[in-house]
Amino acid sequence: MSAAASPATGPPRKRNLTLLVHQVRYEQLSFWRNPQSAFFTFIFPVVVIVIFGAVFNSSKREPFYFGLSGLQYYIPTIAALSVLGACYSQLAIGLAFRRQTGILKRIRATPLPAWAYFAGLMANCVLLSVIEVALIIGIGALYGVPLPSHWAAIILTLVLGAASFCALGVAVASLVRNAEAAPAVVQFILFPLIFLSGTYFPIHSTVLNHIADVFPVRPFNQALLGPFAQHTGFDWNHLGVLLSWGVIGALVAIRRFRWDPRPE
Amino acid sequence: MKRYGAVEAVAGVSLTVEQGEIFALLGPNGAGKTTTLEILEGFRARDAGRVEVLGMDPGERSSGRRLREQIGLVLQDIAVEPYLTVRETLSRSAGYYPAPRDVEQLIELVGLGGKQRQKVKDLSGGQQRRLDLALGMVGNPRLLFLDEPTTGFDPSARRGAWQLVRDLRDSGTTILLTTHYMDEAQTLADRVAVINAGRIVAEGTPESLGGRDTARARIRFTLPEGTSADQLPISARLDSDGAVSVELQEPTEALHRLTGWALQRGLTLPGLVVDRPSLEDVYLQLTGTDSSDSEPAAEGGAPRRGRRRLLSRSGL
Repeated sequence: MSAAASPATGPPRKRNLTLLVHQVRYEQLSFWRNPQSAFFTFIFPVVVIVIFGAVFNSSKREPFYFGLSGLQYYIPTIAALSVLGACYSQLAIGLAFRRQTGILKRIRATPLPAWAYFAGLMANCVLLSVIEVALIIGIGALYGVPLPSHWAAIILTLVLGAASFCALGVAVASLVRNAEAAPAVVQFILFPLIFLSGTYFPIHSTVLNHIADVFPVRPFNQALLGPFAQHTGFDWNHLGVLLSWGVIGALVAIRRFRWDPRPE
Repeated sequence: MKRYGAVEAVAGVSLTVEQGEIFALLGPNGAGKTTTLEILEGFRARDAGRVEVLGMDPGERSSGRRLREQIGLVLQDIAVEPYLTVRETLSRSAGYYPAPRDVEQLIELVGLGGKQRQKVKDLSGGQQRRLDLALGMVGNPRLLFLDEPTTGFDPSARRGAWQLVRDLRDSGTTILLTTHYMDEAQTLADRVAVINAGRIVAEGTPESLGGRDTARARIRFTLPEGTSADQLPISARLDSDGAVSVELQEPTEALHRLTGWALQRGLTLPGLVVDRPSLEDVYLQLTGTDSSDSEPAAEGGAPRRGRRRLLSRSGL
């Protein structure tokens, strides 16, 4: 490889950016080549929204969906679900696998700085989330759901949500020792939260909603639901909860993350 | 003489690897080979002692990146992304180094020519190991760590890998390797050290290790039929199964008398062998039961720093 093609040369700022692009490129390659991640992480939410579109194919506004049509409600919740998959599940399972197989240790032995590795992972997750949410909104538009109007609020919520769930994904990967256990742990945490948070069907119990608001999934759903379908803008309260979880995840990840498959 | 690296751990492991040599670290499982390597590579923190690798302290975080730009390593386990191709895997790593090797040339060099576009998961075990070796070399390192590099290689791939390692040495790369294969150490290493229970128990060239070069020669054969030990022209030890062995500093005269005696009687000496202790003999003797009951942790004179004791734990 010629010197010009190597991201490790050149002035520092440009060098860092090239390095990041380099990382994202290979993370993308790894992601799309892996049928498991490409299918479960990426295709699944798209399939869900296609099916929901066919099932709830009515623009009638219903009290059950808080005065929205079924699909108006599901577009933001399934978009949130896709971010959970692309960030939280994918990272937690992927990193546990990479640690167990020694891939992380091998990366640690190269001059690649840790920040660049994690920035690359995160940028990859955000990129996947953006593509997927765009797809879901597009499918919704095909079913006749009006496009959202508060794009700034949607983008901020998506980026914050993606970052927070990335941090939580790394945190879970740091706490799980065994790569075989990782998918089970990830689902065990996520599955009840998804149902509790109204992702698949709206929840009208005030008590349950108060409980779910403490965890990160419902605040994310709500913060997307507003700008997507209810013409409200930034949902600062729910964004605050989401950010707090992101910080907790980041702290756990920083304190507990290991590159080495064997405990010290 | 330039010192290239040195370790002094709590157990009193002390070794110096010279620039441009192949140094082999031998020892049984759990002796501390990998731990020693991991301290040098910066994966593990030491508790006491001084370590210098390429003039830097691998335990020092601030110089970590600079050090990692100049070292390469091949770990015991194959650790490569399964879904990337051979070329992608190497190009990705090449991007982390300031002066990487040419990826296409490297692929040819490790014998993976024609496999550039093959996904890692579709390679055979031996091919994956060779890719691993290429990954260790891609940054053009001044110092290369090889942890059991040819485990799982077929004989011809092993010879290829040995030649590759020699070529690297000849181009100025320093190589520190661990191995279980005595023939590997014998043919490849310029110097070897035997580590047992966390201590270096012997160090030297493969030819001189443990006094091999000055050890007594051994003549062995099976007693010919119809003869008895007291008829032999030399005094020898006779085992119950008829195996005769004689240990001598200088075997020439004894051998002459012995063969003359046999020829006179029209006899042959079945299974006649003259040898000196092999590297394996010396190794087994050095790492045998007589040395494993020592207490390395108690002997270390250096004060302990931190909470862990290195090289004295079991299971490493």
